[in-house]
Amino acid sequence: MNKEHVENIIRRYENPEGKILGILEDIQETYKYLPKESLEFVSKKLGMPLSKLYSIATFYSFFNLKPVGEHIITVCMGTACHVRGAKDILNNLIELLKIGVNETTEDGKFFLTTEDKHFSLNTARCFGCCSMAPVIRVDDKIFGYVTIKDLPKILKAYGWKSK
Amino acid sequence: MKSKDIQVLINGQEFKAKEGELVIDIARRNGIFIPALCYEESLKPYGACRMCIVEIKNEGVKKKITTSCTLQAFDGLSIETDSEEVLKHRKVLLELYLAQAPNSSKLKELALRYGVNRTRFRQKIRDDDPLNNSCVLCGLCVRVCSEVMSAGVINFIGRGEKTRVNTPYFEQSELCLGCRACAEVCPTGAIEFRDDGDIRIAASWSNTKVELKKCSMCGKYYAPVKLDKKIDTLYYYKDRDDELRDMCPDCRRKAIARKMTLIAENEVEKYAK
Amino acid sequence: MKINTLEDLIYIREVGLKKLKPRDKVRVSVGMATCGISVGGDVVFEELKEKLKNRDDVLLTKTGCIGFCHVEPLVNVFIPGKGILIYHHVQTKDVKKIIDNFSEAEKLDNVLCQIDKWYHITSDEIVYGGGFTNIPRWSELGFFKPQRKLVMRNSGIINPEDIDEYIAVGGYSALFKALKKMTPEEIINEVKKSGLRGRGGAGFPTGVKWELAKNEQSDVKYVICNADEGDPGAYMNRNEMESDPHSVIEGMIIGGYAIGAHKGIIYIRAEYPLALYRLQKAINEAKNYGLLGKNILGSGFDFDITISKGAGAFVCGEETALIASIEGDIGRPRPRPPFPAQKGLWGKPTNINNVETWTNIPLIVKKGGDWFRGFGNEKSPGTKVFSLVGKVENVGLVEVELGTPIKTVVYDIGGGAPSGKKVKAVQTGGPSGGCIPTKFFDLPIDYENLTSVGSIMGSGGLVVMDENTCMVDTAKFFLDFTVDESCGKCVPCREGLKHMLFILENITKGNGKEEDIKTLEQLSETIKTTSLCGLGQTAPNPVITTIKYFKDEYLEHINNKRCPALVCATLIEFEIDQRKCTGCAVCAKRCPVKAIDGIIGIGETFRIDPNKCIKCGTCLDVCKLGAVIKTSKGVVNEKQGHTSSY
Repeated sequence: MNKEHVENIIRRYENPEGKILGILEDIQETYKYLPKESLEFVSKKLGMPLSKLYSIATFYSFFNLKPVGEHIITVCMGTACHVRGAKDILNNLIELLKIGVNETTEDGKFFLTTEDKHFSLNTARCFGCCSMAPVIRVDDKIFGYVTIKDLPKILKAYGWKSK
Repeated sequence: MKSKDIQVLINGQEFKAKEGELVIDIARRNGIFIPALCYEESLKPYGACRMCIVEIKNEGVKKKITTSCTLQAFDGLSIETDSEEVLKHRKVLLELYLAQAPNSSKLKELALRYGVNRTRFRQKIRDDDPLNNSCVLCGLCVRVCSEVMSAGVINFIGRGEKTRVNTPYFEQSELCLGCRACAEVCPTGAIEFRDDGDIRIAASWSNTKVELKKCSMCGKYYAPVKLDKKIDTLYYYKDRDDELRDMCPDCRRKAIARKMTLIAENEVEKYAK
Repeated sequence: MKINTLEDLIYIREVGLKKLKPRDKVRVSVGMATCGISVGGDVVFEELKEKLKNRDDVLLTKTGCIGFCHVEPLVNVFIPGKGILIYHHVQTKDVKKIIDNFSEAEKLDNVLCQIDKWYHITSDEIVYGGGFTNIPRWSELGFFKPQRKLVMRNSGIINPEDIDEYIAVGGYSALFKALKKMTPEEIINEVKKSGLRGRGGAGFPTGVKWELAKNEQSDVKYVICNADEGDPGAYMNRNEMESDPHSVIEGMIIGGYAIGAHKGIIYIRAEYPLALYRLQKAINEAKNYGLLGKNILGSGFDFDITISKGAGAFVCGEETALIASIEGDIGRPRPRPPFPAQKGLWGKPTNINNVETWTNIPLIVKKGGDWFRGFGNEKSPGTKVFSLVGKVENVGLVEVELGTPIKTVVYDIGGGAPSGKKVKAVQTGGPSGGCIPTKFFDLPIDYENLTSVGSIMGSGGLVVMDENTCMVDTAKFFLDFTVDESCGKCVPCREGLKHMLFILENITKGNGKEEDIKTLEQLSETIKTTSLCGLGQTAPNPVITTIKYFKDEYLEHINNKRCPALVCATLIEFEIDQRKCTGCAVCAKRCPVKAIDGIIGIGETFRIDPNKCIKCGTCLDVCKLGAVIKTSKGVVNEKQGHTSSY
């Protein structure tokens, strides 16, 4: 963690409204997760107990507390995606990426990372792209009308090798 | 602004109260039992345990069942603390509690009071639960730690049914004062502390260790060092005798008593002369 | 420049009109809301940009989404004197055709319709043309015909990233009227008269809510826009922000003026980066024109808006949890009283409205409450945008007058279920709503009617379910959602919902008992009655309604261990129909657990090992011959695919 960088992030927030979540989000944007030292640093800078920051970080599903894979795949589990087979998409991804299902983080979030740290897999509640259900997102790119058939092709574009 | 004197009806009986007072306070002041797990007068109403539900009998009220820890009294308010409807829901809630915290004897007692001696629901038992499968997440410990003690050692972790209370990262806390206020307010007896020589161990809070202070007289370890210091910064008694500062409560009492006797003897002597 | 006078506003309007409707240039605009981008709108835009870089006869811009997501990417081509043509399903290979010969524009085969004129409501009707022969007008398409565009008055027409175009269609003229000619009381009266009700779900009268906040004595007050659209299956707010962000901002400034607040906050969910970007851009643009900041329009009124981002918590749509979240706390609801109107953000009077509620405000101020009452029905005036999704042909955002029957939306606009399947129900109101069976499809959609059948209006998600949707699984899906999203503060919601989910899981695995239904009903009642906030109070609705209307499906799972819709994995089997199988082995190759084996080229030899099969459906999906079938104790599927066959 770069102290100066986090200090700059804190400085961005003049308004108290949305400050804490904003700071944590910006830190995560940099490191893809919230390093422990960064929370400790923010805690000191803002005079806020670490217990509270940790509580916030584990409450909101957006935050990761562990390092994540190079590419993050998120499967939308919204209603439209559900009725159009999102669960099968998710199960297939778990199989394709060979990640254990029962691995959850200590705060209970569903977040799986492959052994080689190339991919992380998680779910989202709804991207608001219901018209193209089922939908998955890889990093910032949204793929609509996904079928099980398409998955290997999508994964390959991000460096996946079938075993 | 002074609040108005009003009359409220609780279970058909009339009571005097102030406008805006919380119904649970009025009831308790008058010896009427309303069960509650998350309510504590010194803290802001929290509304989490839902045990203190009462039924509003006044006409035109949309939501009949509501929590008495958030219900503000108005003139003519009429409520029942144990109506059929209230009991029906309270029993289901108790069943849910028994499933969530199967080891709490305090909870079992409360449930029995309402004739609930078993639960239909799957019990949650974790062998490694630092809160001894007794926590109902009422939040009193969290609130007392931050709002009253300003320590902020523990907080909720995660959300929903995965919520737990503990220290950040489940690591020993440097902030814990060892004051045991959390264990004191816990309604289910879930929080464990034990003293081991000069160390107090907060077993429930990731085995956080706190140094204890030794009595200058008898040598007993009697209070956490950090708590002692904090009290000093918060309320420093100027006239507090330095000699008494480092004594345990027992020795302190004895020392004061001794002093009083000395003074009294002096006085007697004075008169005698 | 700062806009101060009517002349200033008219001047900008002229500037904007030149962009929207250039006199001597063709305007090509690509539908680029998130939905359009995700299906390739961005690639089309880049291709157009590349191909048009040396052309000064064409103006290339972006627009938002007109709502017809089913046929995206959409490209609008405005040709002076002739009107706007909308092309559907545009791909990069179509770009050359589109820009090469505008005089033959209507002859391309992916023309959807033409826009001859458009009523933006805040300005007079704008005539774009009407000169394309043999091309249907937009309003003649089945998808658009029953719709009434009030909220979506500018969506898909103007460029959401250009304030001039918003002003060109009458934007900020309502603000002008409000600040220069109306008192706060008059505005609140007009909003009350309009009968507008909160579009976030509960339907509380907006004018009354404003009055409560206005009557509180405080030097600091806040208005908040609730853009934490968390309902799965609902995305109208995303589109409203992405396609017409200024309408939200204009509404909020008017609201701030009416209740006496000088600060506005938009609380937006982190999953909507584009909406956030466009709102921020719009805020900056408005500041530059003096429409935000000090002394707005020279009226002496100060107002500013900041954006506050959420971080993935459905419960933050609840007002008190939302406030807690903005304050940097965990999003756990707080007990009421005090209500946000009394003590909200930082303990100050606060008025919170949903995105769609805010976008209605400029209309009401500009056209009057009585005009607004001309739409919808007596108790629910105005329109509502629904996201029509799920098992329906024409998915998209549709805006209809309240009081429109469900069947109009599902069949006339939506075109029914795809590939001739039978619609079974619609789900409204997200996890707080219920499943409405087809027997109620004559029901006019309004707040009270939906409540009367056990659902709610909610934010406007309308998910169509067909015969391949299992209602027990649907109930389980929503419970899984609410269990995950429950903040965990109060016991009925946290523990009660969890046990409901356990029971439903048991039923879908064939381990249910008949008394489970009673337990579910009992739990539902206690959770509804005793939960702290709206999330818990409504979370049992999907279970209650599915038990009420589809009890037979529950009993099939419980008594016959059968899933009639062939959805619940434990109760279904995959088999290979050996008469159809040719032994191509595609399924065997793709099976992730190697549960399929056989001799290549000999159809009869292929078998699925039921002990290895994880029922992922890959085989069904990849088999081109329809040789893989799904069964559940005698129920056999006839469809040709798993995830892809809608």
